[in-house]
Amino acid sequence: MDAELFAILAAWSVATLRSATPLIFATLGETLTQRVGVINLGIEGEMLMGACVGFAVGVATNNPWLGLMAGAFAGALLSLVYAFLVLVTHANQIGSGLAVWMIALGTTSYFGRALVGQQVTPLPNLGSDWMDDIPFLGVLFDQMTMAVPLAIAAVLFAAWWLANTRPGMQWRAVGESAVVAAENGIRPRLVRLHAIVVGGLLAGFGGAILSVDYTQTWAQEMTKGRGLIAVGLVIVARWKPILVLPICLVFGLAEVATLRVQSAGFAVSPHLLAAVPYLVVLLILIVSHIMPRRDTGMPADLKSVFA
Amino acid sequence: MSRSAFTTGLVTALAFAVLILVFFALLGKPPFVMVSNLVIYAVGDTYSISQTFAKTTPILLCALAAAVPGRLGLISVGAEGQLYAGAIAGTGAVLLAPALPAVLLVPFMLASAALGGAAYGCVPGLLRARLQINETITTLVLNYVSVLLVNALVFGPWKDPESQGWPATAFFPQEAILPSLPGTRIHLGLLLAIVFAIGLHAFFTRGPSSQKIRILAGNRKVGEMFGLNFGFWVVAMMSLGGAIAGIAGIAEVSAIQGRLQPNISLGYGLTGFLVAWLSRHQPLVIVPVAFLVGGLVAASDALQLFAKVPASSAVILQGLLFATALAVPGLMKQMRLGFGR
Repeated sequence: MDAELFAILAAWSVATLRSATPLIFATLGETLTQRVGVINLGIEGEMLMGACVGFAVGVATNNPWLGLMAGAFAGALLSLVYAFLVLVTHANQIGSGLAVWMIALGTTSYFGRALVGQQVTPLPNLGSDWMDDIPFLGVLFDQMTMAVPLAIAAVLFAAWWLANTRPGMQWRAVGESAVVAAENGIRPRLVRLHAIVVGGLLAGFGGAILSVDYTQTWAQEMTKGRGLIAVGLVIVARWKPILVLPICLVFGLAEVATLRVQSAGFAVSPHLLAAVPYLVVLLILIVSHIMPRRDTGMPADLKSVFA
Repeated sequence: MSRSAFTTGLVTALAFAVLILVFFALLGKPPFVMVSNLVIYAVGDTYSISQTFAKTTPILLCALAAAVPGRLGLISVGAEGQLYAGAIAGTGAVLLAPALPAVLLVPFMLASAALGGAAYGCVPGLLRARLQINETITTLVLNYVSVLLVNALVFGPWKDPESQGWPATAFFPQEAILPSLPGTRIHLGLLLAIVFAIGLHAFFTRGPSSQKIRILAGNRKVGEMFGLNFGFWVVAMMSLGGAIAGIAGIAEVSAIQGRLQPNISLGYGLTGFLVAWLSRHQPLVIVPVAFLVGGLVAASDALQLFAKVPASSAVILQGLLFATALAVPGLMKQMRLGFGR
């Protein structure tokens, strides 16, 4: 009985983690970008680009790791377009993000048609024979790839880096006030460029994990708003990298629950179930805004673009 | 239009023209031939013009839907979701009373669609007004929900048993089809859209509330010192925008598709947002800009058929147009400063 319960629990945990992993990378990237006072809706496009290029390279090289890296690179490259619009031409941040999204939407559906139906070599599972007998962990590792521990490590590292290193301090200073930061010898535009590119790198990587590791297929518009959700979840996480983890897991759990309800044969429309994760995101946005809070954690410079 | 706005528009158009040429050259297509094809397929003959007007209609309505909250300084990207919500509500009206004569059914259907879209726009409006939740994010997330809701309905309870595998409602009765010009796809929706544009122009420039909205958009705190209720106007403008997008939805269903089915919109919400942004939320500027972008969308559909260039090229071009329009004013300002030094 206990073993059975453990197995179910392990299966749910690993499914939740895997479903949340792409979102964790994207949300972490967006958190870092917003910490320097920039809101980038274009990460939806950067994720999509990462998913498309990552999948293409994964298919072409038979190497999922090369795919993931190419995806991250593609996301970073696209984020440069956003950086140009926002930092060089001083264009509106919301508009620039949407423009980048549109460019990615068109480009990936244009070039992605050749990828539909292709097979990609997946990342190997972490489990090994000697683990199989360990309750819970055996199942957990057996269905997990390196993507999950990488996501957790990235969150922990980013949280530590932002709080404890000198560049991390500079990023936080720029987010609070670019003017004051500049007076103290920091170059805000350079810091923002770095943060935008890091955000693009992480979003592209997350997108590539989605196509190469999680679904192992390419489909047009396959990110389905995950990048936009990430922008919302940053608010819920109160701009703290460490909170990205639990909050993305809520989304992951919602997605897994809907998939399980469906496969358990309940007579609920799969389309209605597919809407549940979006409604869950709205709900946690609402809850996080209702909860009383003195310190929102919002970088002060963000307030000018983002009410 | 001021002189600097005119110059900016001209430079934007030129820069975009260059980008289009580069784009086609990069795809390995003869750029000048492709551009002239675009123009021919957009406005070359009566058939093309009819197609362009057919695409212009939802884009124009969605642009107005984005411009209405935009006048208050809100950034709503929810027209796509509101369009689907309007399509659901309008179809619901037709399914409810299919036997009504057209004089009653068409207004009933349009009013239901407007209500459905308004309700769908009202939600992010309320969230913004009451809880300060950013409307851009909520509208974007809600877009996915109503699209899925349409799928749930046409795969489920609203599915026509006679349509075999195809997920769609039964075809609308003739009484529920919006009248159109004979032999074309130009329907009542376009006329409505133009009337809305003129009405909104009057409302925002001459109407009794125009001053209030301008003050609130300029500075919310000042407006509230004058006793204006920001929250009320947020909900009102979001709902009004939603109503207009809802009309776009039922117009597509009734006049173009003839029944409710998935994919009634080909990204018209986002395209409309782009048009509203390019036109700086001015209803009378939106009309010609929507026509230009509608021509681009219609022409790229034709390019897909005749030149084997995927229609997604239109989305890339829209993205490039958006990026150009965002970049040019800032770049020009910097150059002017540079020359002044």
